[in-house]
Amino acid sequence: MIFQTALQSLLDGAMLGAIYALITLGLALVFGVMNVVNFAHGDFVMVSMYATFWVATLLAWDALATPLITFPLLFLIGIIIYYTIIRRTLRHSYVIQIAATVGLQYFLRASAQVLFQAQPKALQSSVVQGSFLVGNITVLNSRLLAAVISLVVIVLVSIFLSKTWPGRAIRAASDDLDVSSLMGVNYQRTYALSFGLGTALTAIAGGLLMTFQQVSPVMGVSFGLLSYVVLAFAGLGSTIGLLLSGVIIGSAETLTMAFWDPRARLLVIYLIFIVVLWVRPRGIFGRK
Amino acid sequence: MKLKNLFSARNILILVLLAIATVIPIVIRDDNYATLLATNVLLYAVLATAWNIIGGMGGQLDLSAGAYLGIGAFTSGTLVLRWNVTPWAGMILGGILAMGLALVVGIPLFRFKIREVWFALSSAALVEVLRVAFTMWEEVGGPTERLLPYYEWSFYHLRFNTYMPFYYILLVMLLIALLVNYWVRRTKLGYSLLALSEDEDAAEVLGVDARGSKIKALLIYAFMAGVVGGVDVCIKGNLSPKTFNGVQSTEVAILGIVGGMGITFGPMLGAILLVSARELLRARLGGGLEGLYMGVYATVLILVALFSPRGIAALLQDAYAKIQARFQRKNNYERPADTPGI
Amino acid sequence: MSDQPILQVSDLTVQFGNLLANQNISLQIFPGEIVGLIGPNGAGKTTCFNAITGLEKPTSGRIILKGVDVTGWLPHKICKLGMSRTFQVTRAFAHMTVAEAVRVGAYNRHSEKDVSEQVEKVMEFTELSEYRNKTCGDLGLATLRRIELARAMATDPEILLLDESGAGLNTIELSGLMNILRRLNQEVGVTLCVVEHVMQMVMGICQRIFVLDSGELIASGTPAEISSNSKVIEAYLGRRKAYVA
Repeated sequence: MIFQTALQSLLDGAMLGAIYALITLGLALVFGVMNVVNFAHGDFVMVSMYATFWVATLLAWDALATPLITFPLLFLIGIIIYYTIIRRTLRHSYVIQIAATVGLQYFLRASAQVLFQAQPKALQSSVVQGSFLVGNITVLNSRLLAAVISLVVIVLVSIFLSKTWPGRAIRAASDDLDVSSLMGVNYQRTYALSFGLGTALTAIAGGLLMTFQQVSPVMGVSFGLLSYVVLAFAGLGSTIGLLLSGVIIGSAETLTMAFWDPRARLLVIYLIFIVVLWVRPRGIFGRK
Repeated sequence: MKLKNLFSARNILILVLLAIATVIPIVIRDDNYATLLATNVLLYAVLATAWNIIGGMGGQLDLSAGAYLGIGAFTSGTLVLRWNVTPWAGMILGGILAMGLALVVGIPLFRFKIREVWFALSSAALVEVLRVAFTMWEEVGGPTERLLPYYEWSFYHLRFNTYMPFYYILLVMLLIALLVNYWVRRTKLGYSLLALSEDEDAAEVLGVDARGSKIKALLIYAFMAGVVGGVDVCIKGNLSPKTFNGVQSTEVAILGIVGGMGITFGPMLGAILLVSARELLRARLGGGLEGLYMGVYATVLILVALFSPRGIAALLQDAYAKIQARFQRKNNYERPADTPGI
Repeated sequence: MSDQPILQVSDLTVQFGNLLANQNISLQIFPGEIVGLIGPNGAGKTTCFNAITGLEKPTSGRIILKGVDVTGWLPHKICKLGMSRTFQVTRAFAHMTVAEAVRVGAYNRHSEKDVSEQVEKVMEFTELSEYRNKTCGDLGLATLRRIELARAMATDPEILLLDESGAGLNTIELSGLMNILRRLNQEVGVTLCVVEHVMQMVMGICQRIFVLDSGELIASGTPAEISSNSKVIEAYLGRRKAYVA
């Protein structure tokens, strides 16, 4: 009985973890390239979810189709935020950099509260309903699809970073800014691109999440924390590592909810965070 | 100290402000709401001034004031509720336990060469984690709100029928916090912290113990926040895990940053301006638009971060210096006119 | 000069991923000496300094300071034991004044009582007294170099490592620096190890020189010996091709 619960939890956690990895990918992009910590990243996910809700309700689309609109929308928002806020703080101390994103975080939260009120919003139904059985384990279609799509997107981004010119510019900028700018990489534009891309990726995650979750203005907190713990766990430099970390953290979460107390998931995640920083600050899979 | 220095403009200003601060509660004593507001302003002023040591001087973005405040509150509150121990002892013990927490957090997170951002993240999470932990901890009450025993006027239990005594207690705490700031800045710890926030590697090779200095700063701040928590629980009159409030913790940091990091009286200034403004906003707009005042705070923070990162206090200092310079130039200019015969 | 080295580096190897920045470097520095560490760009001199002073962890090898094994020690503990350093790219405490910056170093071996005195002494020695209240971020390169030196001096080191202090200085500034260094060595007795590209400085004050190339120690000796060492010349100029006259 316990074994079955554990297996179920592991599977659920792994699928959830794929989405976490996708969310964290956007964060890693910004952090790795600009060394900027965007505290508001979790709230970007929240914004994406509301955007998904809004588009889906307005156009009667399925949540899965919304990224067609929300992806470019959030890319644009990311670019705008980069040029108006982030860029100016780059020359100041890290406290000021983070403080600006903390301000952004609360601003987004407050805006959501004013616009959508505090009650959670959810979408009626999605194309992906139902579930199937593998032995005694229940697999929810929505979760599985979300995990698969996340995986695909992560692979696509990986390819983008290693094979295309803007992608390689991003990687070069994160390695050595001076040399790469000598080689023709316009670092301002590369930074903006990274930030825009990092933000836009949350649009996909948001769309996926809305197929089975509801959104409220305060959700940004937990997504933010989750993505940072995954990032600390994974370290920078390995996409596979990021995926694995997402899966591990997701599983830890679901196992805690199944075997201890649903409320304790935050405790366990934080504990993992502290232990990782104590034992291997570079991240388990990190290369720099 | 020369007599002239004793009566310098700055010291007179300080004395005047102190006098005003002492007199305020007497003037407004009939207005309970105003007294509560003033007490709240002082509360945040103490927290922000304590924050200055780890935030302003240490250069660490700490978002966990609520964690230490809550520990202090729970220590003091539980001791009163269970064993009738006076909060005067409770708050000191609360401060000490808060220091314990600071140690647990600081040791892994302040090691040399760990990216500073992890501390900021950890502190943001710490408050939430503690809230959950205390909600789950049945022995100290769990999620329920426990009311402290009510007394009309008891110094032993720190309960009164007015907020005035709390005002004065917090005023004394503020003075202590300011003095601690002043003292730290002028001694080895202050110099170490400043050097670390400028360039950690360079500081280390000059003999500055990165981890030790940051932990010391965190301990001082945690103790003060814990003591304030011990008082706060008596002001509120109830004990609940809601004391671990992430929004409030962020607010403390905002006050410190907007007021002026590293400047002794900066965060206090931030507290006076922003907390009063917040209450005025709340009074005008009503509780309905709960998110709005946080949105205003957020906007102020962003604007300050972008255009005046040194804070309001720094602007005032610069303005004061400019006025002084202009005054001196005026004096210098007038002297040639006195010279006869030209 | 005693016969026990004040600093002994044994088989130092520092590897970053696939890059061998330092390979089996062994050297000894004796109290009271002024030694130079030279080599073409990328030879691994700064990495060597970083490993010695605790800013990088050696992959293997030992660092022994005053007879104590300090391998893997934190930089501030090494400073307390008596070794300090300056940086190649000046790491000024941009928002602090000169006096404040020097004071940070002075706290290493002085308590609150006499720290101010130490600051004054050091600033006088390095001819910085007139700049005491100026903000470091506002000052020029030559002054910043002297501030770096003053800061490190304030820690009362027994051995001081200087990373390219001479770079970017004109002739007058350079001889001023060399003077201060000579006095530091002779009057105060501080052992010096300088990484330098500026040959005038290396030949001018060093008694012994170590040469690094591609992470390895290829030669050591007096300035005269080094300047005629074929391996050294090769390292700087490349292999001599046979010219047909």
